[in-house]
Amino acid sequence: MSTAIIDARGWQNTFDLRSGDRVQSHTPVVNMVKGVLKNHPYPGDMDAGSNRWVSDTALELIKEYNPRFVYLTYAAQYFKGRYNKMTADERSRMIDNAFSELQRFIDLSRFTAIVIGSGNMAPLMDTIDVTGLNGIAVCTNWSTKYAGLYEPSSADMKYLESHPLIEKIVPREEIVSLFDGTPEQAARTPEFLMLARQGHTFRAMSPAMRVPVMIPADNFRIPLHIPVDGVDDLTDVRPALERLIAQKNIALIVMEGVGLDEFSMPHRPCINGKGWFFYETGDAQHLALSSGEHRFFDYPKGYKHFDEVDNTREYPFSGYFKSIPANLFGSSFTGRSIAVGNKSMFMHMVTGADICVECFSRNLFNQGTMAVVHREDKL
Amino acid sequence: MQCSYCERRCDIPEGGTGFCRMYTSLQGVITERFPGRWSACGTSVIESMPFYHIYPGSRCLTIGTAGCNFRCRYCSNAYIAKEDPEVQADKMYRLSAADLVGTAMRFKCKSIVFNVNEPAVSIPSMLEVANEARRAGIMTGCLTNAYMTEESTELLVSMFTFFNISLKGLSDEFNRRYIGIPSCGPVLRNIAAIAAVRHVEITTPLIQDCNDAEIDAMADFIADISPSIPWHVFRLLPGDEMHDAAYPDIDRIDGELISAREKLRYVYFHNFVGSDWVNTLCPSCGAVVIERFSLGCGGDKLNRNHCDGNSCPECGRAIDLVL
Repeated sequence: MSTAIIDARGWQNTFDLRSGDRVQSHTPVVNMVKGVLKNHPYPGDMDAGSNRWVSDTALELIKEYNPRFVYLTYAAQYFKGRYNKMTADERSRMIDNAFSELQRFIDLSRFTAIVIGSGNMAPLMDTIDVTGLNGIAVCTNWSTKYAGLYEPSSADMKYLESHPLIEKIVPREEIVSLFDGTPEQAARTPEFLMLARQGHTFRAMSPAMRVPVMIPADNFRIPLHIPVDGVDDLTDVRPALERLIAQKNIALIVMEGVGLDEFSMPHRPCINGKGWFFYETGDAQHLALSSGEHRFFDYPKGYKHFDEVDNTREYPFSGYFKSIPANLFGSSFTGRSIAVGNKSMFMHMVTGADICVECFSRNLFNQGTMAVVHREDKL
Repeated sequence: MQCSYCERRCDIPEGGTGFCRMYTSLQGVITERFPGRWSACGTSVIESMPFYHIYPGSRCLTIGTAGCNFRCRYCSNAYIAKEDPEVQADKMYRLSAADLVGTAMRFKCKSIVFNVNEPAVSIPSMLEVANEARRAGIMTGCLTNAYMTEESTELLVSMFTFFNISLKGLSDEFNRRYIGIPSCGPVLRNIAAIAAVRHVEITTPLIQDCNDAEIDAMADFIADISPSIPWHVFRLLPGDEMHDAAYPDIDRIDGELISAREKLRYVYFHNFVGSDWVNTLCPSCGAVVIERFSLGCGGDKLNRNHCDGNSCPECGRAIDLVL
């Protein structure tokens, strides 16, 4: 059983991650993690101390648990850049600060770092209004490039196919073929996937009210800092990681919202997708990293998530995930592993690490932190 | 020209605006400035509004506009409610009432709920939506601060069949300092009026050491209207001008609600992840009749409804539910 520990600021409780039911757990690992959460309240996605929280939490977990593999995401610059207008100087300082924090972690932990930038951001120039379609357009999961399309009328298709800001409309069969999907995976895939041109996003029906000022750019390549040669594709990172960790403690670190233009460490460009598809910053990109394979279908872009809201769904703390993804590096690694991130509540689903700590923020509202203990048998 | 939509009763000069900046005066008529524009339009579940005692587990279309007639220091949606509506107007959805209702039908929503800001600042647009929805057989509800005139209250009652009304605090000092109004008198008057004819739930954001001393008095007020009114006590999520405020102590607030639970049949304490106080208990035998799960901050959902229709499966007592 995986145990979720929720720290809602001064109020901790433990739950069965799968069912969401309250459980009592006072094992050494759970107690240790409770202490770490108590010592490190999350300052908030937009707070200046957000990235420092990642480092400090990870450093305490390293001290207490002595892992050989650490998976981190630093996301403060992504959130700030997404929603705040900044001058070039302000943005430059923000990115510098993010890398300084990353370097502080590397210096203090003495782990060998593999660092990936999740991709450049681009100014949002305009939106593509798909609210008036006869069919249904779904743009979710913080996605901006991609939107799903269901039951479009011929008038819808005429409008969309001639829209100057839509780059491409891909039918389901082409998506399934590109990623070798199964019939079950195909069933969750949109009938069509629409791609916006760079700097544009879809205006679909959504309860989300914040309008971004910067969105992920077209990042067919992203920066990768890695101390070995022969890693040219996102899916090559895992085999390289397996080779490296045989000799060294490794920290796999993702700098969210930073691409080739702003990555300040020595790096090489790394292919960030397949064919016409590239990953936006988010869960699928992390899954590709930690599994070494493309993972479009775990959480497909533009799928009708609201049709899956039923009262018996498992993993209530895990967003739209319905199961723990298989074949992740953290879950197959026999040594101890931890993950810490301030991107969202998905570290426990995309890393497979024994212990995962993440902020519990929804739509930037800071509700505290969550830790998930997947393995207790290594302490 | 005096605006009579809310209790501020602003004097709006020709072409000018009042407190909420959502109405203007044109040739002597108070007119909506941004009709048919919506800051949000998406699907959700009714528990996340929150409504716990009406259409459990149903899907709703949530909509909102911009602006507000309050200036709550802790506003969760300040970037919508406090920001100049004119600045937001171009970023908003432009949808007619027919568009909205058509969308609700395509997305298989049982209801349309106005839940982002204060509906009193957009009454003409919302009136159109309500009329269109009624024709299509879709219910409408809203979240409101109820600081509107008696005439507007009648209008809202004609538009919405269910309400979640925010009772923020009772004392004049609290209302002046934290909400920006001289008194909650009109709010109390309107809660009583609306609850007499419509399904009402009440929400109170609790700020430790600011309004938690009024818990019992607020419970008394609600109980005097009806002990069956569900009361959602929200733990303050510090934000906006109160960004640095302390998160209220959950165990302490829970202790302070003991007396309220004796006066009211359905007291919920949530707005934080994993709350223990989101289930509905039978007022007679104490059995859990509806189980819910809370992710906090608009993330509540139905887990299991054990009721037999409107009745407790254990003792048969009627549970106050609209199905």
